[in-house]
Amino acid sequence: MSALRFHWMMPKGGEVSMKSAQETSRVLTTKKESPAAMPDVQGWTRFARAAEESGIESVLLSFSRYEPDTILIACAMGRATPALKYIIAYRSGLIQPAPFVQQINTLSGLIGGRVALNIVAGSSTAEQRGYGDYLEHDDRYARAEEFLAVCKAFWGRTLCAPTATTTAPNGRGAQRAPETVAFDGKYYRVDGGRLHSPFQSPDRTAPEIYVSGHSPQAQALALSQGSAWLRLIDTPEKLAPIVAQVRERGVEVCLRLCVICRETRDEAVAAAMAMLPDDNTEKEERGILNRSDSQTLKQALAAADERGWMNRNLYAGLVPYYGSSSITLIGSPDELAEQFLEYKKIGVTQFIIAGWPKLDEMLIFGREVLPRVRQMEGS
Amino acid sequence: MIRFHWMLPKAFEVRRGQTPREAARYRIESIQLDSPSPKPDMDGWLEFARVAEDAGIESVLISFSRYEPEPFMVACAMGQETSRLKYIVAYRSGLMGPTSFVQQINTLSALIDGRVAINIVAGSSAAEQRGYGDFLPHDERYARAEEFLSAANAFWREGHDVDFDGRYYKLEKGTLHTPFVAPDSGARRAPLPVGAHGVRPEIYVSGHSEQSMRLAATQGTCWLRAADTPESLRPSVARMRGLGIDVCLRACVICRPTREEALRVAQSLLPDDKRETTIALKNDSRMYAESGAKDEWLNRTLWTGLVPHYGPVWTTLLGTPEELAGAFLAYKEIGVDQFILSGWPEVDEVSNFGREVIPRVRDAERRQVA
Repeated sequence: MSALRFHWMMPKGGEVSMKSAQETSRVLTTKKESPAAMPDVQGWTRFARAAEESGIESVLLSFSRYEPDTILIACAMGRATPALKYIIAYRSGLIQPAPFVQQINTLSGLIGGRVALNIVAGSSTAEQRGYGDYLEHDDRYARAEEFLAVCKAFWGRTLCAPTATTTAPNGRGAQRAPETVAFDGKYYRVDGGRLHSPFQSPDRTAPEIYVSGHSPQAQALALSQGSAWLRLIDTPEKLAPIVAQVRERGVEVCLRLCVICRETRDEAVAAAMAMLPDDNTEKEERGILNRSDSQTLKQALAAADERGWMNRNLYAGLVPYYGSSSITLIGSPDELAEQFLEYKKIGVTQFIIAGWPKLDEMLIFGREVLPRVRQMEGS
Repeated sequence: MIRFHWMLPKAFEVRRGQTPREAARYRIESIQLDSPSPKPDMDGWLEFARVAEDAGIESVLISFSRYEPEPFMVACAMGQETSRLKYIVAYRSGLMGPTSFVQQINTLSALIDGRVAINIVAGSSAAEQRGYGDFLPHDERYARAEEFLSAANAFWREGHDVDFDGRYYKLEKGTLHTPFVAPDSGARRAPLPVGAHGVRPEIYVSGHSEQSMRLAATQGTCWLRAADTPESLRPSVARMRGLGIDVCLRACVICRPTREEALRVAQSLLPDDKRETTIALKNDSRMYAESGAKDEWLNRTLWTGLVPHYGPVWTTLLGTPEELAGAFLAYKEIGVDQFILSGWPEVDEVSNFGREVIPRVRDAERRQVA
C-alpha cells in the first residue's frame, strides 16, 4: 500500500500572522473589512515553505465571494514555491468548461503540473445567485457532471502527441488532423472544441479531481468524474462501508479534518476547550449554517449537536463555532499517528487538514505526527 | 504623451538571430498543431519584457485564442516577475459570468500592483466560439458583451449587492470582497464615481463594426482597431474622443535606417504562395471582411500588403525612424493617443523602436508643449 498523502488548508488572507483561533473563525472572514479579501502572498509564501518542509504535499485553496480567485492565487503561489501542489476549489456554473481547461492547462505549464481541482457544485443558493447561477441543489450536480465530462473530454484529446499526420489544407507542410470535442448536454454544448495548450505535468495528462460533498449526488459525481471523493471526517467504523464502496469503484477517499496535537491528550483537549468562543459568534455561525442548502454542513452540525465526542480522539464540538470542516482529531502524537493508520486500514488514502494557529499546528504535525505515521507505515 | 504598447510575442518566438521572415513565419504557423507556441514560455517572455520595459513600452497585449496559453495566467506569472510593465489581457465575453470574471481580474490586479487592463473581444470566428460553448450569432455577441461589461462595471462601481436583470446575465445581490487594485498612475480615464470600490481597469473594446464603437463608448475606456490613414480615421476618432473614449491603433512596425531597407524586409514577409491566407479562420468578423480589398499603400508609411494574407492587424507602419515618428505624430494630431505594435523579430524590433522612434516622438511632443 502506498503512503498516506497529507494536504493542508491554505490559510485565508492575513491568517498566517494571526495567533488566536477566534481571530480566524469563518464568521470574521465574511465581514467586508476582513483581510481575507486580499491576497497575502508574503504570509502564504511563509506558510507554503513551512508546508514543504513539513512533508505536506498540497494546499487546498478555498473558493468564495469573500476571497480572491483560487486559480490566480495558485498561479502566483506556484511560481513562488518549488514543490508544493495546489488543489484549486472551483464551482461549476461560473465558467464554460473549455476556457476553464485552458486556464488550468496554462497554469500547469507555469507551475510544473502542481495543480489539482476540487470541484464544488455550489454552496449557498444566495451566493450562487450573486454569480448568476439560479439552479437548485440537485440540478447543480447534474450540471457539474456535464462540466467535468466536457473538461475530461478536452483532457482526453492528444493534440500534442506527434502521431498521425495529414496534409494541411493549404498544402504546405504536414499537420495532424485535430481531434475535436463535441458535447451536447442539457447545460453545456460544445462543437468542434479544441485547445492547443496541453495539461503539462511530469506524470499526468489531466489534473486529479476531488469532488466534495455528502449528498448522494456528490457521491455519484465523485464516482463518475472524480479521482477522489472529498468528505468530512467521521469515525473509522462509520466510514468503513462507504469507503469500501468508493474504493471498489477505483476512486480514492480524502478526508477533511482539523488537528490539535499536543504532547499529551489532556493538553490537546485543553487547547480545544480554550477555543470555544462567546455566544454571539455561535449565533452568527449557526445562521450561516442554517441558510445553506448543503448536506455536508447540515450533517456536520447534527454531529456536533448529537455527539460532541465521536470517539476518544474525534471531537465535533467546534463545528457550531468554526464551521462544518472543524471536526477535529485531538490527542498526543502517538494517538494521532495511530488514528491516521486506522483510516488507512479502512481504505482512506488522503487527508486535507487544518489547525489553529494555522502555521504552528502544521509545524507540530510535520515534526511530531508525520514521522510516526511514516514509521508505522514502514513496519 | 502617446502611449506605446506592444504585443506579447507567441511562446518560444523570442529567439536570437532570427530573420524577420523566420519570425513572421513562426507567428503565422503558431496555429498549427506542431507549433510549440501553446505552451507557456517564461524565459522568452521575460527576456522580451525586460527589453520592452527598457524601450519605454507601457503594456503588452496578451491575445486570446484556442491556439495559445490563457492570458490571465500568463499575466499573473509575468506580472510577478516584472515591475513596470502592464498587461492588457484579451478576453471574450460569453466564456465566463461577469462575477467570476471580475473576481479573477481583481485578484490579478491585487497580485501585480494593478498593472492590468482588459481587451474585450466580442468573439471572432463562429467556429472557434462554438468550440468554447458559445453559439450566439455575431450581432448578439455584442449585445451580450454590452451586458457583460455593464455587470462588470457595476461590480467595480459598487462591489456588493449588484443586481442585474438582463437577457444574457441575471445576478442577485452579487458581492465580491476583493476589490480592483489600481496602478499608481492608472484608472485616470475611468470616469466612475469613487465609492468603497469605484476603481476599474482600463477597458479596450476592439473591432471595426458600429457595435464595437458603441460598446467602447458605453462600457469601455478605449476603442481599439487596426491602423488606417489619419484621413480615414479622423471622423470616427473625433466621435469617440467627443464621448470621452480613447482610441488605440494596432499596427506592425518595420523601422530601418533607410526606407529601402524597410521595404526589403516588408517584401521578405510575403508568403511564397500568394494565395496563402489565414483570414478564412475569422470569417464573420467585420474587421476581417473589410480587409483585403484595399490598395497596398495607403500613404507613404502605411502598407497593407500583408493584410490579405494574415489579417488586418498586420497593417504595417514602415519607414525610417524620422518617417515613423512623423506618422505617430500625425495620428496624435487627430486624437489617437495609444498604439499596440508588433514586429519581427519582436525583441529586435521593440528594442530598435525604443532606441530610434520613441525618443524622436518624445522630442517632438516636448517641442509641441513648449
